[in-house]
Amino acid sequence: MSNEVWVVADLKIDGSVRQVTFEALSEARKKIAGKLGGELCGVLIGSGVSGHAAELGKYGAGKVYVVDNELLKNFNTEGYTIALSELIKKYSPAVVIAGNTVFGQDYFPAVAARVGAGVTMDAIEIDLTDDKKLRIKRFSHSSKAIPTQVFLDHHPMMTTVRPNSFKAAEDPKTPEVVDGAVTINPGDIKSKVIEIKTKGSDRPELTEAERVVSGGRGLGSEENFKYIYQLADMLGAAAGATRAAVDAGYCPYDMQVGQTGKAVSPSLYIAIAISGSVQHFAGMGSSKVIVAINKDPEAPIFQKCDYGIVGDLFDVLPPFTEKVRALVSQS
Amino acid sequence: MKILVIISQTQDTEAKIKVSAAGNSIDTEGMKWIMNPYDEFAVEEAIQTKEKHGGEVVVVSMGPARVVETIRQALAMGADSALHILDEGSPDMDSFAMGKIIAGEIRKLGGFDIVFTGMKIIDEESGQVGVQIAEELGIPHVSLVSKVIEINPTANKAVCQKEIDGGHMVVEVPLPCLITCPDAMNDPRYASLPGIMKAKKKPLTEVKVSDINLDGLTRVKTVEIKVPQIERRLRIIKGQDGPMVKGAEVEKAAEELIKLLREEAKVI
Ligand SMILES: Cc1cc2nc3c(=O)[nH]c(=O)nc-3n(C[C@H](O)[C@H](O)[C@H](O)COP(=O)(O)OP(=O)(O)OC[C@H]3O[C@@H](n4cnc5c(N)ncnc54)[C@H](O)[C@@H]3O)c2cc1C
Repeated sequence: MSNEVWVVADLKIDGSVRQVTFEALSEARKKIAGKLGGELCGVLIGSGVSGHAAELGKYGAGKVYVVDNELLKNFNTEGYTIALSELIKKYSPAVVIAGNTVFGQDYFPAVAARVGAGVTMDAIEIDLTDDKKLRIKRFSHSSKAIPTQVFLDHHPMMTTVRPNSFKAAEDPKTPEVVDGAVTINPGDIKSKVIEIKTKGSDRPELTEAERVVSGGRGLGSEENFKYIYQLADMLGAAAGATRAAVDAGYCPYDMQVGQTGKAVSPSLYIAIAISGSVQHFAGMGSSKVIVAINKDPEAPIFQKCDYGIVGDLFDVLPPFTEKVRALVSQS
Repeated sequence: MKILVIISQTQDTEAKIKVSAAGNSIDTEGMKWIMNPYDEFAVEEAIQTKEKHGGEVVVVSMGPARVVETIRQALAMGADSALHILDEGSPDMDSFAMGKIIAGEIRKLGGFDIVFTGMKIIDEESGQVGVQIAEELGIPHVSLVSKVIEINPTANKAVCQKEIDGGHMVVEVPLPCLITCPDAMNDPRYASLPGIMKAKKKPLTEVKVSDINLDGLTRVKTVEIKVPQIERRLRIIKGQDGPMVKGAEVEKAAEELIKLLREEAKVI
């Protein structure tokens, strides 16, 4: 068993490295690698990915394991599961961390089961106990509780971490690149990705954004969601939505914030025509400042926000957005 | 087809949460128990699959005696039989152990074509058990499926849509496989009165966890639970005559909100 601390890079569909990877590297260096006396390492799984090693080095990875295989061109469950499990069996790291993204949630528990490791998901704090066991905090019970969990005597200790929970801080290294040399055969890939559709967006990603503007059922139509996008763009914010709005077809599913959808914790969350359900709050309740615009003074959101306007969004948003525009163009 | 659906009973987390005296669990005294909402979508998907392709739906659930009520609810919705893995609260059982035990019992059942389960349970929210069970069973899984496009028992495959950042992907997977269900993938039916009557007579088998060896299965221990306290400012701008801001008040309200966000909260 080694003392190495691994962070598995999370790659976007366009092949770039997701911010949560750098956040995890930075936090693992600060809270785990030093205390454990082990090297901080990155892991790159994909096709033509070794070029990213330098980026991981920038955030402190002294070594980067690479599994480079044509069959890993797009994320697929079995390919990733085999790649990471085989690497773990071969090099026996102490701690393995990944981002709690759509992909992380998919293959990470499978890897843990395959290598017999314990795993926790969506950690918002990570560190080590005095006897060098991984300790994490996360949300449970619709984000109304925060359990602290400690790993027992099994190795490795694995966790995913919630995006935007830690600061990415540079600590430049020139990493040693290790070819993981894992063999994957076409027959190993059982679930095949037969189609990927993405549309590019100039807006920041929800889980990474410093500001989020979200719309609810009260927007009333897809057309009216332009009010959300206009304000979001004015603030350089990501655009989000409730399940009710997604269900009604006003906006795409990947905008859903909440227990099922994305978990966000920006410094500013503006909720427009959103009632404030438990399930929606499970995904944004830890935002630093919450603003609500709603025409119903009894809406539950007015009991749990920082600032609010009781008013019709179609009256309030145009002048509000206009004033934000004026402010932005001033500065 | 033999269709499995793994469900659990959960605390209704709409309710207020209180930490137990020991400090590392939630006080469930007086709490309402419900079917895990995500599992309702799984049960619905299982029943729709049966309606399309014929066969039977078998419910699998682990927990104390009270979960029988939730099992009966799934049977009343239209499932055919059930396996109850009776666990009278084994201390310190974690998700890893749970996955192993459930998978072990499913393996004994054998002969299934597809397994549905909720994406996570709304109390513990560990979000890993479904995928772990698939891995233990040695079958492929597709997680967070927003839409089952096709299940084709003849061609031995399922085609599912899964949402990803900025779009979606379509995954084709051979049977048997396991699918985890988010909300909104379908519209779960209510149990009808005749359904509820029939459910009472449907076969329910029980196995006890005490007959299963738990040694060394647990990997993670919960040592403490805290209830987060976030103080909100609650500065709500209202209208003069009636709750809503109207007419000239709107401009002033927008102005005031911007000022608060700039000068007090310092976020814009
Ligand atoms: C298992 C499960 C998981 C779920 N997961 C999620 C999740 O991830 N995310 C999520 O968001 N929900 C989720 N939900 C759904 C959740 O319970 C709520 O139904 C949903 O959040 C409500 O969305 P809403 O606030 O847009 O709609 P509503 O509750 O209908 O509220 C609309 C609000 O708009 C206001 N309004 C209407 N017109 C105007 C106007 N012109 N101007 C100003 N205000 C106006 C109304 O006063 C009202 O308060 C989940 C539910 C379940 C059971």
